[in-house]
Amino acid sequence: MTTSRQPPQDLAASLLAAALLLPGVQALADEPPQGGSISLRYLDYADRQSGLDRIRAHSPSIAVTAPVASDWSIEGTLTADDVSGASPRYHTAVSGASHMQDERKAGDIAVTRYFRRGTLTAGAAYSTEHDYVSRALSLNGTVSSEDNNTTWAFGIAGSRDRIDPVNHVVVDEHKRTLSILAGVTRVLTPNDIGQLTLTRTNGDGYLNDPYKLFDNRPRSRRQNTVLLRWNHFVDSTGGTSRLSYRYYSDSFRIRAHTLSGEYVQPLGGGWSIVPELRLYTQSAAYFYYDPVYDGTLGPPFPPGFASAEPNRLSSPDQRLSGFGAVTAGLKVQREIGKLWTVDVKVEGYEQRGNWRLFHDGSPGLAPLHARIFQVGLTRRW
Amino acid sequence: MKARIFFLLIVPALLAQAGCATVQPWEKGKLAKPEMTFGGDKLETRYADHIYTSREAASGGAGVGGGGCGCN
Amino acid sequence: MVDAVVRFPFDAMASRCEVRLAAPDGHAAEELALAAIAEVRRIERTYSRYRADSIVSRINAAAGRYSVECDAETAQLLDYADHLHRASGGLFDITSGVLRRAWDFRQPRVPHARELAPLLALVDWPAVQREDGAVFLPRTGMEIDFGGFGKEYAADRACALLQERGVRHGYVNLGGDMRFIGPQPDGRLWSIGIQDPRKADGTVASIAVSQGALTTSGDYERFFDVDGKRYCHVLNPRTGMPVSHWRSVSVLAPLAVLGGSVSTIAMLKEDGGLSFLAASGLAYFAIDGTGQAHHHSISGDYAS
Repeated sequence: MTTSRQPPQDLAASLLAAALLLPGVQALADEPPQGGSISLRYLDYADRQSGLDRIRAHSPSIAVTAPVASDWSIEGTLTADDVSGASPRYHTAVSGASHMQDERKAGDIAVTRYFRRGTLTAGAAYSTEHDYVSRALSLNGTVSSEDNNTTWAFGIAGSRDRIDPVNHVVVDEHKRTLSILAGVTRVLTPNDIGQLTLTRTNGDGYLNDPYKLFDNRPRSRRQNTVLLRWNHFVDSTGGTSRLSYRYYSDSFRIRAHTLSGEYVQPLGGGWSIVPELRLYTQSAAYFYYDPVYDGTLGPPFPPGFASAEPNRLSSPDQRLSGFGAVTAGLKVQREIGKLWTVDVKVEGYEQRGNWRLFHDGSPGLAPLHARIFQVGLTRRW
Repeated sequence: MKARIFFLLIVPALLAQAGCATVQPWEKGKLAKPEMTFGGDKLETRYADHIYTSREAASGGAGVGGGGCGCN
Repeated sequence: MVDAVVRFPFDAMASRCEVRLAAPDGHAAEELALAAIAEVRRIERTYSRYRADSIVSRINAAAGRYSVECDAETAQLLDYADHLHRASGGLFDITSGVLRRAWDFRQPRVPHARELAPLLALVDWPAVQREDGAVFLPRTGMEIDFGGFGKEYAADRACALLQERGVRHGYVNLGGDMRFIGPQPDGRLWSIGIQDPRKADGTVASIAVSQGALTTSGDYERFFDVDGKRYCHVLNPRTGMPVSHWRSVSVLAPLAVLGGSVSTIAMLKEDGGLSFLAASGLAYFAIDGTGQAHHHSISGDYAS
């Protein structure tokens, strides 16, 4: 029995190297996306609390991606949100809820340059509604290893927002944010790919919700996230599981865990079905106060209001309370021919104080239910 | 706090080392399927981010640069 | 742009061949395919043993007499053959073609040791002298031929040409040795069947491929059976007898020329073939003499 005298890695490398020396042969290189696409999508969102309808939103949007020359691509989206309904002025108070109706228009554009081993993307976003204008810029880059199995990602972004609430609680306030991102994506096996992303955002300025009573938040907020994602292809079914876990913490002392999973199962004939489940839990902000009101003044005054210092931090915003939430959804998608894809997605969302994991959630808030419906159409070219 | 920093340094290092055998280019066929990438439908992801940012305190994770809103 | 895939079958290198590619329209597809086919025919002409004007024929005709100048392409092919000789422990030898004079696979006759001995004396790659771009075969009657990786080399060159001209989807198939340019236009992979070594129209497995090459060496291409024993065209250069350990070895590699070399060497190494395949770092699917399959890292479906 003859065996090769070279150590294994040397043999593999030397054979490939020798083969590559042959004239006019080349191993494949990666290239930027060849085709473009145009997508239309429509969202219908409605939530309820304590048996009453709260917020309703209708949102059509359009996204276009196009390759430009051989090394560039450009992407743009436009969205219009039509939001209406009643938002509680404190906690989940039904009476005295502020009725609102607003239309928000937002657009963004991003230009990407493809290099041999990486990409660079510059983006700009603009959003405007009655009382809020936001402008943002971003720069993101990726660098891949020679074998394309590892990709490092970096990003930096900033935004400047202007807030002019219709109730004139404040006038011409500003908010600025600066975010940075670092991440790595790694091909683990022919069936597995994983990703780790870290972000940090610093926000400064007016962070209060002007439509909530006694909402006085710090003027700065530092936020951190750690996101782990894993996609796995299941050979036996041809389906793909997509799992992710995000840990969030910020200077409001809110800690949140998000665990979500979806499973893409192709059914043949261009159909696929995607069930999804998302579990969320968060702690309350340190300045959030429960719906326990001042003994003398009654709701909505926080306890000890009369004797407290005037600029004391507080907020009765349910979004800053401690709670757990579950989303369950199903998407059905059909690929028609080689160019078209259409999908329909239905989700239900419920948020409850006592669903908070590991610790007690904030008491006294009625559960929030939402139903979400989406339909989308994409054409490739 | 120290444990958290340690964790944040170790996991990327592990991820970078993980996957004992290098996956060859011609084995990446399945990874090219859209459902195996991390992008996802752009508009669908946007809607999800927007809904969760306006109903929960946590935000962000996968990317930076989206811009804000007075979400109510 | 999602284009239709067009097929261009043709015959070359004594095999059924095919170029399959996606192009914006029929005209463009035809032009591209013809260019690829022309490249395959060029290599066939240049390195054919049967054409008096080919470089290989001129080198063989000068055996024992004088050295012949080679162009850069031939010199590099000879370098590669030399590398394979060393990597295979001397089993891959491009001077072993002379053994064909004793083995005529059109009749089921096992040659005698007496007939093989003088031919084996001519199988000696280390004796071949290469200097300053010229090659000299020292003994009269010695021959070189690139049959061991010529088809695969042609497949790689044809694909490189198509890639340079912007083809992103398709493959070149030369007698079962395939080099892929890219997946099908809609992103789906090509599903390729690995032939059953004992059933001409059967497959033992199918593999999903998008890039790289799938090459197969087998004992079913040219062979005869005597007394239940198979004698195939892959001959051991030291004994002059066919190898018998493997029925077929299929390899997935970034280049067809690499895959073809590795699958041929694995056949030649017989029971040392598995460790050689493992050392090569490539994905493989091999079927041994008992019909049992051995495989590594091949992504795809298996049908038994």
